[in-house]
Order: sequence, then C-alpha cells, then structure tokens
Amino acid sequence: MTVWDGVQRGYIPAAELHIHESLRLHTGTADVDPVTFEVIRYSLMNINLEHGQTIQRLAVSPVTMITRDFQPSIITESGDLVFLGPYLQYFSNAQALTIKWVLENRSDNPGIEPGDMFVSNDPYVGTPHQPDTIVAAPVFAGDELFCWVANVLHHSDVGGSVMGSFCVDATDIFTDPPAFPPFKLVSRGEVRRDLEEMFLRQSRVPTNVHMDLRAAVSANRVATGRIVALVDRYGADAVKSVMNRVLDAGERTVAGRLAKIPDGRWSHRLYAEAAHTGDTGIYAYQITVRKQGGHLYVDNAGTDPQTGSINVTYAGFSGAFLAALTASLTADLAGAYGGVYRRVHFEPVPGTLSCADFPAAVSPAGIYTMETLISLSGAVIGKMLACAEPDVAALAIGPAHPVFYGLISGGVHPTGEPFVATNADNMIGSLAASPAGDGVDFGGHFWIPEGTASNIEELELLWPMLFLYRRALRAGAGGAGRFRGGRGMVEAGIPWTVPGMAAAVYMDESFPKAVGPFGGNPGSAGHFRLKYGTDVAGRFAGGEVPQDFDAVAGAEAEVEAKGPMLMMGADAAWEWTGANAPGFGDPLTRDPAAVRADIATGALPADLAELVYGVVPGDDATRALRAGRLAARLASAVPPAVAPATVPEDVPLRRLAGELAVAGRDGRPEVFASLTGRVVLAPATGNFKDGCAVLERPLPDVAPEFAIREGRAGHRTRYREYLCPVTGLRVDSEIIKEGDEALHDIEIGAGR
Amino acid sequence: MYYIGVDIGGTFTDCVLVDREGNHRAAKTLSTKDDPVPGVLAGLERLAGTVGVDLATLLERAERFGHGTTIGTNAVLERSGARVGLVATAGHGDALAMMRGAGRVAGRSIEDVFSVHGSRLPAPLIVPGAVVEVPERVDASGRVVVELDTGAAAERIGRMIAEYQLDSVAIALLWSFANPAHEKALAQAIPAVFVSSSAEVSPRLGEYERTVATVLNGYVGPACSRYLSDLESRLATPLLVMQSDGGVLPASAATALGTIDSGPAGGLIGVAALAGAYGHDHVVATDMGGTSFDLGLVVDGKPVVAEEHVIDQYTYRLPHLDVRSVACGGGSIAWIDGATGGLRVGPASAGSEPGPACYGRGGVEPTVTDADVVLGLLRPEAFLDGRMPLDRDAAVAAVGRLATRLGLTAEETAAGILRINNMHAATVIRQQTVERGHDPCDFALYAYGGAGPVHAFGYAAESGVREVVIPLGGGASTLSAYGIASGDVMLHRELDRSLLAPFDGPALATAVAEVRDAALADLAATGVTGDAHVEIDALMRYREQLMHSLEIPVPPTADGGTLLAGFDKEYVRRYGDGGTALFQAVEVFALRARVSVPAGIPVARPELSAPTGPAQTDVYWPGHGRTGTDVYRGTPEDMITGPALVELAHTTVAVPHGATLTAGPLGELRLKEF
Repeated sequence: MTVWDGVQRGYIPAAELHIHESLRLHTGTADVDPVTFEVIRYSLMNINLEHGQTIQRLAVSPVTMITRDFQPSIITESGDLVFLGPYLQYFSNAQALTIKWVLENRSDNPGIEPGDMFVSNDPYVGTPHQPDTIVAAPVFAGDELFCWVANVLHHSDVGGSVMGSFCVDATDIFTDPPAFPPFKLVSRGEVRRDLEEMFLRQSRVPTNVHMDLRAAVSANRVATGRIVALVDRYGADAVKSVMNRVLDAGERTVAGRLAKIPDGRWSHRLYAEAAHTGDTGIYAYQITVRKQGGHLYVDNAGTDPQTGSINVTYAGFSGAFLAALTASLTADLAGAYGGVYRRVHFEPVPGTLSCADFPAAVSPAGIYTMETLISLSGAVIGKMLACAEPDVAALAIGPAHPVFYGLISGGVHPTGEPFVATNADNMIGSLAASPAGDGVDFGGHFWIPEGTASNIEELELLWPMLFLYRRALRAGAGGAGRFRGGRGMVEAGIPWTVPGMAAAVYMDESFPKAVGPFGGNPGSAGHFRLKYGTDVAGRFAGGEVPQDFDAVAGAEAEVEAKGPMLMMGADAAWEWTGANAPGFGDPLTRDPAAVRADIATGALPADLAELVYGVVPGDDATRALRAGRLAARLASAVPPAVAPATVPEDVPLRRLAGELAVAGRDGRPEVFASLTGRVVLAPATGNFKDGCAVLERPLPDVAPEFAIREGRAGHRTRYREYLCPVTGLRVDSEIIKEGDEALHDIEIGAGR
Repeated sequence: MYYIGVDIGGTFTDCVLVDREGNHRAAKTLSTKDDPVPGVLAGLERLAGTVGVDLATLLERAERFGHGTTIGTNAVLERSGARVGLVATAGHGDALAMMRGAGRVAGRSIEDVFSVHGSRLPAPLIVPGAVVEVPERVDASGRVVVELDTGAAAERIGRMIAEYQLDSVAIALLWSFANPAHEKALAQAIPAVFVSSSAEVSPRLGEYERTVATVLNGYVGPACSRYLSDLESRLATPLLVMQSDGGVLPASAATALGTIDSGPAGGLIGVAALAGAYGHDHVVATDMGGTSFDLGLVVDGKPVVAEEHVIDQYTYRLPHLDVRSVACGGGSIAWIDGATGGLRVGPASAGSEPGPACYGRGGVEPTVTDADVVLGLLRPEAFLDGRMPLDRDAAVAAVGRLATRLGLTAEETAAGILRINNMHAATVIRQQTVERGHDPCDFALYAYGGAGPVHAFGYAAESGVREVVIPLGGGASTLSAYGIASGDVMLHRELDRSLLAPFDGPALATAVAEVRDAALADLAATGVTGDAHVEIDALMRYREQLMHSLEIPVPPTADGGTLLAGFDKEYVRRYGDGGTALFQAVEVFALRARVSVPAGIPVARPELSAPTGPAQTDVYWPGHGRTGTDVYRGTPEDMITGPALVELAHTTVAVPHGATLTAGPLGELRLKEF
C-alpha cells in the first residue's frame, strides 16, 4: 500500500509523530504574565525578521536577495510553525513538513544534536520544488530539543535538464534536478565538506549556490544564538509557553472569522496548458473547500492525473492553499500562522497534478503550478468569503497571476564565466480587483509581500544584455471589470557584448488562465516573443531605441507555451510580458468616471472605453450603448431551462458579490438571485448557473488581444458568461475547456 | 560673536546660540507652519533676550547662522511641492510609476507589509503624464550606444514644460552615473525651470532610486530655494543649511534633497560634537519624543552613514546620517491583543492631538506618558516647568481600564507598558549595534527629546548599555539646534566604480584620486574656504551581493592589500568566520569621499539654573514598588543617588534605585549603576 511517507507519495505527518526515544523534546510550560508574554513574543518575531535580513544581505542570487524568494521560520520542537517572515508565503509549511520528516526519520540515525543543520530539497518530503532548498537547525535547551529555526532559499541552479532548474521538458523526476532527502550538512557546528560538495556538484553555478547556502547556514546560526539567549534569560518553559499561546491565538483568530462564514462548499477550476515541452494539451486543476463548523476541508478532486512536469506534491498543494488563505483571512497575524493551519484539513486525491506520487517531475512548479494553485486557491477562497458576513467578506483579495511570468536565459560572459539569468521582473506584478475596488497597478504579489523587481541597471550589470524598454502594460479587455485588475509590465531586450545566449524558460500562453470573479474579465495572457536577424543595431546607429516590437524587423519565432531552449544570436531581440490581473464584476457596470479617469492618466487607450466598457462621451449615450450591449448578450445567449421567476418585492436580497445575491426570510438564504434583475437563479444548495442565460464563445473571439495563431491550445477553450436572464448582466463567468462541464461553484448550507 | 542654530520641528522652533567661550543659550517657540519665517524670527527675538540684546544686534553679532528646515519634508508628505516633469531614457519612463513592484510596502511597518488589504501605491510625485522619453542609450560600461539629439529632445521637453505648466524638470537617464554626458547636455539645453540631474543628485547604480532622488529634489527644490533666500535676506550672515548627511552648506550650495529629514541629523551631529568632549568614542544617540523614537550611532567618534532612505513609500539613495525611526514614544498607545491576551504598546500613537489621556484634550486611550504619570515618574504639576499641568486622574482612569482587563494593578500595568516600550527601543538599539558587529555595552547612550531622559534607564539597561548621558543637561531638548549651530561644512561625493580583488594598485589610486578631486571641486564650488579635510571610504562586498555593503576606510597610504584585509576583518567581525566563506571575488563597487571644513566652535556649556530641592514624592519604581523619592528641579551640583527625579525645563531624568546621577564639568548629566 502506498502511504504518505515522503518517499512514494508526498509526506503527510500523522497526528502523532514517531520520534526515536533517544531524542528528548522540550515540552515544559510556565505561567507567563501578559507583559512578559509580549516581551518574548516581540523578541521571537524580531529574531525571525533579523534572520530574513541576514539572508538578504549575505546572499548573492538576485532571486534571493531582491525577489525575496526565501523564507525564514521559527518552528516548535515538534514542527509547528510559530513565525513566518514577510517573504515568499507558499513556503508556509515547507519547513514544518521537512522538520517533521526529519524528526520521524533522522532522530535515531544520524541523530539530531545541538549545532546540527539538515538540508533537503526533496519535494516528496516538504519543498515545493528542488531549487527551494531547506536548511533546518534544531535549537537545544540543555539536552532537550527546544525548537527549530529554518529557512528556505531558492537557489539559482541545482541541476536538471534545463538551465535554472525549471525543467519544463522533464517527464519524470529522473530528468528533473536531483532531490536530496534531508541530510546533515552541519554536524555539531561543522559544515560537512563531503556533503556540501555533493550538493554543489549538481549546479551549473556552484559558486553562486555556495554563497547562498552559506548565507542560509549563517542566518540560521544568528537566529539560533538569539533564541538561546532568550531562553537563557526567561527560561525555556516561559518561551515555549509564549510559542504555544501564539499558536493558540492564531487558531482563535481564524475560528472567529470562520464563525462568520456559513457552512457550505465552494469550488473553482483553473487550466494549464502544455504538460511538457512539445505538448499542447490543456489540463485542469480544481480545489473544493468545504466549511463545516469551525473547520475547513480542502480537496483537489477534479484535478487531472499527474503528467509531464506540471505537477506538485502535497507540500506544494497545501503550501499554496495556506498562503492564499492566510493572506486573505488572517494577514493581521503578520506571519504567526501556525494556529490557523490547525483548522485546515487537507483531503488530497493522490496521483494528480496537484498531489503527485513519485516519480512525477515537479521542478517547474516554482513558476507554474505553485502560482496556478495560489490563483486557484484565491479564487475559491474569494467565493467562500463572498458568502460571509460583511467584515469577513471584505477580506477577499482576488486571484493572483496564475503563472510567474519571466525569462530564464543563460550563456557565457565575455570573460568566459557561465551565467544563468533568472529574470524575475514580474515581481512588479499587479493585484487582482476585489470587491473593495480596483487592483493595484504594479502592486507586486500578495504572496511575496516584500518581493522587489531588479533595476534594469542591476540586470545589465549582472548579465550581458541590454533592455530596450520596460514599461507598464496598458489596461484593456484583459483585467476589465466593474473594478479593473492592476496593470503589469512588459520588457524587451537583446544580447549585449556577447555573440548570443539561450532562452531556456519562457512563457507564451495561448489563453489567459485566471477568470475574474463574479463576471470580471480574465487577466491578460503572458507572452514571449523572439525575433531573429533584427535591425536593432542599425536603429541604434540611427539614433533610435526601438520601442514597438511589431516594428522591429526580423523573422519572428513561432513560440510555444513551454517550448524548447531557443538560441538567440547577437542580432536577436525578445519581448516578454507580465500580465494585467483579473477584473471583478461585469465591465459594463464600471463607473464611467473611472473609465474616463483611466484614459486621462494614460492607463487605458481611449478607443477601448467603448469597446470594453461601453463608455462613450455623454452619460445618456453611455447608458443607451450599454443597454444595447446587454440586450445583444441575451439575444445571443441560451436562456435558462426554466422560465425566470422573480423574487417577491417584500423579500430582501443580500448581495454576495457583483450581481449574485441570496434571498430568504429570517436571514436564512433560501435561493440565489440576481441583484438587479431579482431573478431566482437556484435554491441555495443548487447551482446558480442553472438559472442563468449562458453565452459561450471561443476565448480568442472575446477580444482582439486574446487572438492567437491557429492550432494553439487556446482555440480549444471557451469563455462562458452566466447572465441574469432579465438584465443581461454577468453574474459569473468561466474559462472552460471544450467539452468540460460547467462547475458547481457555490453551495450554501452543504454539509459533509 | 555668536554661533546660532535654528531647528524647525513640527511643534517647536528651537533656537540656540553658543558664544566664543562656549556659553550656550536656547529658546523655544511655537512653529509657524505655513510660513516658518515669523516663527524663526520670534524664536530669535527670544534668544536675543537671553543675552540681553535686541534681534538686530543678535543678527549683527552672528558669526555663523545654521538652519535646519522641514520645508522639503513637509512638501513631500503634504504633496505641496513643485509641478515636476520627468525626462527618462526611451523605454524606461515608467520606472518611477512601477516602483520596482515594491511601492505598496516600501518603508511600511511589518504588520502593514503582510496585509494586502487597503494597501496602495503612494500619490505620484510628478504631474501625471509629464514624462518625456528621450532616444539615447548608454550601456553598463558607460559607452554611448545611441547618440542623443540634444536639440530635438530639448524641444520636446520645452513642449512638456508648457503643456503641463511645469516649474521643475528632473532628468534621470539610464547609466548616467557612469557617463553623465547626455544628462549634462540636456540640463544645459532646458529653458529656465528648476532642473535636477540624476548624475548630480544621486550618482549611484539603480535607476528607480536615482529617479526618485532626482524627482524629489525637483519636487522640493523651488520651495526650498524661495524660503531659504527669503530667510537669508533677513540675516546679516550667510545662511548655512543643515543637510541629512550631517554637514551644513551655504544656502546657495545646499541640495534641496539633502534637507529632507535633516532634522534628526542635526541631533546626531550635536551628539557627535559633544561626545568627543565628554570622552565617548561609541555613542547610541536616542531621541524619544511624542510619537517616535529616533536612533543613530556614533562609532569611533563619527556618526554612522546610511544610503537608502524611504519617504512616503518612495525609496532613494543618498548618503545620510543613519537615523532610524520607530513608533515608540510618549504617545504610543497601550492595548490588549484579544487573541493572545498579551499587552501591546503601539505602533498607534495618540500624537500631540488629542495626545495622552493626561493631556486632558479628549484622549482616552492609555499611553506611555499616562503610564509615567501613574507611576509618578512625571509629576502633573511639574510638566514643562509647570506650564502644562497634566490630568493625573485621567491617566489613572485610562491605565486602570486596561489593568482591570489584565487582572493587574494600575501600577503593574503602567510598569508593564514601560517595559514593553523600552523593549521596543532596546530592540532597535541592539539591532543597530549588533548588526554592525558591535557590543552595546561598549557604548554610552545619549538620551534627549522630551520622553528620552525619563525612560533612558529602562531601555539602556534592556539593551546592555552601562552609561546614560543627558547631553547639555537642561539643553538636551534643543540638541538638534545645537548640532546645526556647531556642524562642520561638509559634503559627500560618490563615485560608482567596480574594482575586483586582487586590487590593481594604480587603478585603485586613480579612482581614489578621482573621487577626492571631485569632492574638493564640489567644496570649492560652495565658496567655502578653509582647511579641507578629506576622508575616503570604499564601499565593498562580495561580487554580486547587491544588497550588501561594507564601508572600509581608505587611509592615504592604503594599497589593495590593506583594503582587502580591512574588508575581511570587518566581514568576519560582523558575520563570524564560520558560516560565510570566501568563494566569490571581493569588489569595491563605489568610493565615497567626505570633505569637511571644521567649524571650530567651542564645546557648549549650558547655563545652569540654580537647583532647588530635594522635595519628596512617591514613585512606583518597577521592581521596587512605591518608594519615597527625592525630586530636584534644575541640575543638582552634587552626585545624587536614586531613587530620584531631576526635573529640567522640558524633560525629567529618572534615576532608579541605586543609580547615580552626576553633573559633568560641561553641564551634561551622567547616569550610571542603573
């Protein structure tokens, strides 16, 4: 029988850990007054922040020091998270899982002793993908294991078939970078040179990885020293009691918020394209959250079977969901999230893309599947929160980018040294629209709060390239909505001072993946373009810096979603985009003044006001145009099977979000209804889509910017709008693979 | 003859004079915010009164007139600055708007960083849309890749100025610090508006931060210039303006950007001036006021300099005295975290309006100052020399409500509030010292600001410091003005230059000479004469460690070997020799010259008012409970032993059990054995 052992299947610790009896755990507690409590709590939080700052200063790879693709943590003796830092949030449980596995599998041999540090990058144990390497240090009080400090750093390259170790061509873990189960790199304070060299030997840039690995070790030492000093001063029992109370407080906080959400079941589905290089398939990821009493139950049923390189293990699945949940529901805990996790129970279906069994490949997850799952989690959590009481409903933050757009290229410096250039400029990011308003332009990503994009000058200093432009994307159909999504970035560059280089990992989506909640438009798709034999050098000589990629002469490559490595000569030029984030609510309900304000600041091209938002000069003309558009929608839509019934005037409607409302007497939702049209859509336990008129089009037909060349996967997708059958306003919409069934998104009152 | 310093703060304008014998006088008046000049003149009038002359005579006798202004800071925070347009390299004009994707969180507190809800980008600094992207390009080596057509660019910039009615233009081109030719050409070609050029304002790697610096300079520049020339026209002496790097410069040469957040620099430079006379090499300078706690360090007699600074979520780089501000002051509000049951203090502050409950202006939430009153460390009748009696009952009620919920007595709660607030202060002290590889116990702690001396014993003990100094005794509350009066003319010049170890001696010598000559030329351009003193630091790191920087002094005789040895020593001192190893090449990535002309002003001795006391009061001392305590008004002549309070004009010094307080020969107060 396959078990969740971290070998054949992603590790899921049992409620009781099996730890060798020779290892003594500190479990003492003491009464702590409210003042001393705060003194210790504040000290612990600061120890973790200093841990992060030390990593940032000492590391050398831009992904670590600037993008903040790392995470320090303080963890209890038995592996529960006390504090997470403001860095990459999907490492939420990576360290905890790894430490629990170490406790269960390393406590007798080679043993866990003071001064030790364990290193692991095994996704089946705890990391999201192999470049994210965990270094965990046990902290002892006397002869008892008191707690752990640990960090995860993304390393520039840890081997595998593709530069940068996002091996999009991998078909199983044997073509992925090597995965090391936890090994004792530091033994009683001494770095084991043999093991360190074994790890570094896998990398294309061992010097870089060496610096970062030692930064991780040093930072753990700093944090360990601080905790030991705290224990010396206040006593182990007092410090441990504070840790336990911080965990309890997190649990109380989330319980209080869950109490304001009705029991129910919420689902969302998100598609990815191309399981590996050369593939054009479309694959479904689905998450369902069931809320019952004070607990959440999360499953991934409906997700396609594991295949190619677009998988994650349990660590990735749970990490992504917890990151989205805590950012949305309990961000005020500022990283003290361990108690929240106690209320979340995962019921994963193994052998799937989001909970793969050995030997599935997972290495590209850091830029693909993890983001897909964070976006998906955000969408499903948003649906759940829409049903909550207003103060909790206001915590919805919308779906994140479904992919971490970027470019990994590599080659050789003029000096002969190799380089791997992981361009993380999409840290500029953009936030999705939410019920509270427009998404923030260039707002970064909520799941990596302190993440920062590099300066162009820093990139040109580190790597032999020259950037023609890095500018804001303009708003458009992608990201449109009652509230529009934040705007992202686009940049273009050329090889510089070298005869060429290779583009190893690039993203060119044939359709946008993240739909906007409650009738908002999808965000824009990410694109990568490459031209050979360009006229850039000639235009430089003529006093011009090309600014329009369409106008750059040269042969354009036919790029695939996850294509093979592309060689780029000195006269090549590339362009890649981030994305505008998804909108919220029907674009035809956007305040015309907001549309005009966007035109005035240059955020929105003037001609798109009419096309996307139905806004023209004059309020009357705008109203008339919008009315005509709504009527045209209904004229093309398939009406609901049952003739629309209206909610009686004396029954109050309560808006969930956008045009979706519930109606019922005595505050109990009995039916779903449309807000403006007051049409009964379905019983509260039924599917509100059943009562909607449905308008379905191929996604590339929805807007000119979604158009793509023939034969690509996007042509097999549909954009399906669920309309109020009376007003024509969008209640919701879905991106759906040709032939797939509509999803039943929201059930209120559904129990186990 | 007098050396005069004027420091404008949010509430008070402080004026200080020192005469040739070192006699020190101070005056405090309310600031006049919309037009600060009347407030300055009123303060000077009062200052003249302290030496028995009229204002005109005071100004005539002023040999030196230093000034710190908040005009620039306020213009940014209130968005009342100039109409600025931006000139950028083609393709890169959006760098300012995109803020490297970190604009939502830059400079915000940790709780705010986690919470995406309601977070947004700051309001723009330039007029929206006022950006001209100029076809030109320089690469990382400083080589021109695309030539600039100056005439065509200037014409477009001129049209932008007219269309957007700009009074200021900021030019920030890619790699201009490596080759400023294009920026220089444009600056000369632009019609008469206030022009700022990034290679002049902040000549360092990183176009976003360099653009912010340049735009900020242009944003505050016109108003600063107007104000400074207005003020100078009323004086008989050239005006010297305090800069955030701790130097003063003639008004004509001072940079507008350098005035932003220059107030705290005045305090730290005052501390540095006094520390030499008081016999301290290493000082932690702490200024605790109503809303914030400002902390700076003096190491080996020199104030510590930092580069990166954030104002209203905009990050820029400029050498400035590293004064960090955290929200723990007298107004910090105490509250109970419902989820943990713990007592929390701050970051919310009652500020000065409504202020602590004991101010009697409608504040009801318990603050640190209320805790002081409950404990008896502040006597209501003696606050601000008796000019602002406090409402003790209101303080007791506010703290009492909290105490009931905590199940503690009001005194225990008040002591807890102080303990937590002190821990916040001590955490920053420890971070700042230990982060730089120093042990806090090697430092003296200088405490000033209204809430500093009353709490210093607590946060000094918590951070491991052994001696507290109240610099200038009763003059501590105007320390920044003193620093401004006594500051050296000084400026920094930076040169971004990459040199890899092992260092090529001649190349290093050339770069050092280049930055030295440039600094001396900058000084000459200010018109200041005198014996110039140049110090040079190399900014070093392991190659590619872009977020890291160690300043290694370059002595005149330095060769590559000593520089490398200096780096290794400093690296090991900070990070230990085990964890970090030397796999990557060491590089010098910039050189920084500091050129100064010493002011040569005698060390100040404050005027001592005749001490009175001791009277008796009851104070609840944490750890000791309620104890009869001596109260002195004014600086006592003999050593006193705690428990005691010493009430000065604008602050109270708390002397706990067993501690001693001694007045030094220069009028400072020294607290030991706490």
